[in-house]
Amino acid sequence: MSGYIIEGGRKLSGTVKISSAKNAVLPVIAASLLTEAECVIEDAPELEDVRVMKEVLISLGAKITCDENSIKINASHIDSYEAPYDLVRKMRASFLVMGPLLARQGKARISMPGGCAIGSRPIDLHLKGFASLGAEIELGHGFVEARCEKLRGATIYLDFPSVGATENIMMAASLAEGQTILENAAKEPEIIDLANFLNSMGAHIRGAGTDLIKIEGVSRLKGISYTVIPDRIEAGTFLVAGAITGGEIILENVVSEHLKPVIAKLIECGARIVEEPDGLRVIGDGRPLPSDVKTLPYPGFPTDMQAQIMAFLSLAKGTSMIIETVFENRFMHVEELKRMGARIKIEGRSAVVEGVEKLSGAPVKATDLRAGAALILAGLAAEGTTTVMNAHHVERGYVDIVGKLSSLGAAIKKCD
Amino acid sequence: MGQNFQETMRFNVEKDKAINTREVLQTVYEALKQKGYNPVSQIVGYLLSGDPAYITSFNNARNLIRKLERDELLEELLKYYIEES
Repeated sequence: MSGYIIEGGRKLSGTVKISSAKNAVLPVIAASLLTEAECVIEDAPELEDVRVMKEVLISLGAKITCDENSIKINASHIDSYEAPYDLVRKMRASFLVMGPLLARQGKARISMPGGCAIGSRPIDLHLKGFASLGAEIELGHGFVEARCEKLRGATIYLDFPSVGATENIMMAASLAEGQTILENAAKEPEIIDLANFLNSMGAHIRGAGTDLIKIEGVSRLKGISYTVIPDRIEAGTFLVAGAITGGEIILENVVSEHLKPVIAKLIECGARIVEEPDGLRVIGDGRPLPSDVKTLPYPGFPTDMQAQIMAFLSLAKGTSMIIETVFENRFMHVEELKRMGARIKIEGRSAVVEGVEKLSGAPVKATDLRAGAALILAGLAAEGTTTVMNAHHVERGYVDIVGKLSSLGAAIKKCD
Repeated sequence: MGQNFQETMRFNVEKDKAINTREVLQTVYEALKQKGYNPVSQIVGYLLSGDPAYITSFNNARNLIRKLERDELLEELLKYYIEES
């Protein structure tokens, strides 16, 4: 079981290039199934989740070649409609192949998805959408199967603005007959990125990024070359890294609008953030001021940044409150942060963080992807040595985190 | 670290008042077209959502459009439509 060894207490400085977004590239890879022509994804991040998604497509019959950072996907021959359990259980986003398979093949069978154990994330909204488009849904033991003759456009109201359901339905509706109207859709930047990808392929999608998306179905889509947006969560994590170590970092390849809630919170805590022509500069200066954080769907504060901001606030000059409203089991990093000297109490979905003057290095373990990132951040600021075990969680979502942090002056190395 | 929390904090790209709206729109339009997008649809998407992900970074188009306030841009478009057409 591998991990990271971090010697804390070093101020980070320098420039870091943010990679393409994990949560944008996964649906784009899935959407490549919608065309028989070749799609090329440039600057694809080398992540474990991306590897799993490629495996899912290969298992369906697609041919994939990788060249440096680009991925070429040729799905001209799809000979299976079933995403295997061994892959789907590893990564929840595998479920995103269901919409494209249903639209292209008229049938799809997927195992119930896995992913980080941060809470139940039901797939009922995806299925409700497919059923509205005319698919027959069958739920079996550990799998779900959908079939249709031809998908037909419909008006679909999502009970919750689910990112995955919005993406899956958008992909399926792109090849449906007639118009689909998706109400109460998710507004995340990754939705816009997927719409951009699909529209470049010839789809007619309007309104992505708002809560009303209109999709006019087309008969076929073409292959294209595409680069996905920068990863706002990786960027947010590096912003916290600069602030928590009292350092000064420049982030390249960022869309600052996607980081507004994180930037606002960091400024509130006393960090300085300056927008520059090609990126963002973060300057940390001593212990942060306390602040209250409530996670919300975009454009609210992202749940994927909750653990990292908690690591930061654990060093604040006062008491902060963090409320997690998106997932019900996303405080697993708290016990680990407490091992490093943080004072945190959990009450239901709220955490009261009483800031301490310093954290102390300790052996801790990542319980999920963002928890791992938070513990690395805490380790960077702590006195002494921190060992963060379960590196595989972190590798699902951060490209070369050791290399990037080392280039900024952090003392971090990977261990087996 | 210190900050006056009584003041409204604002984080935004500094807007260049002298910027020529028509020139920006034309540059953005051309950049989107060259990258294979439907430029009108992409610009409408940006105006509706405010998300610069709609605008390609090719030819500095994304940075350029962020220099214009969206409400002012819409105002100009509407004025032009009413007065010039």
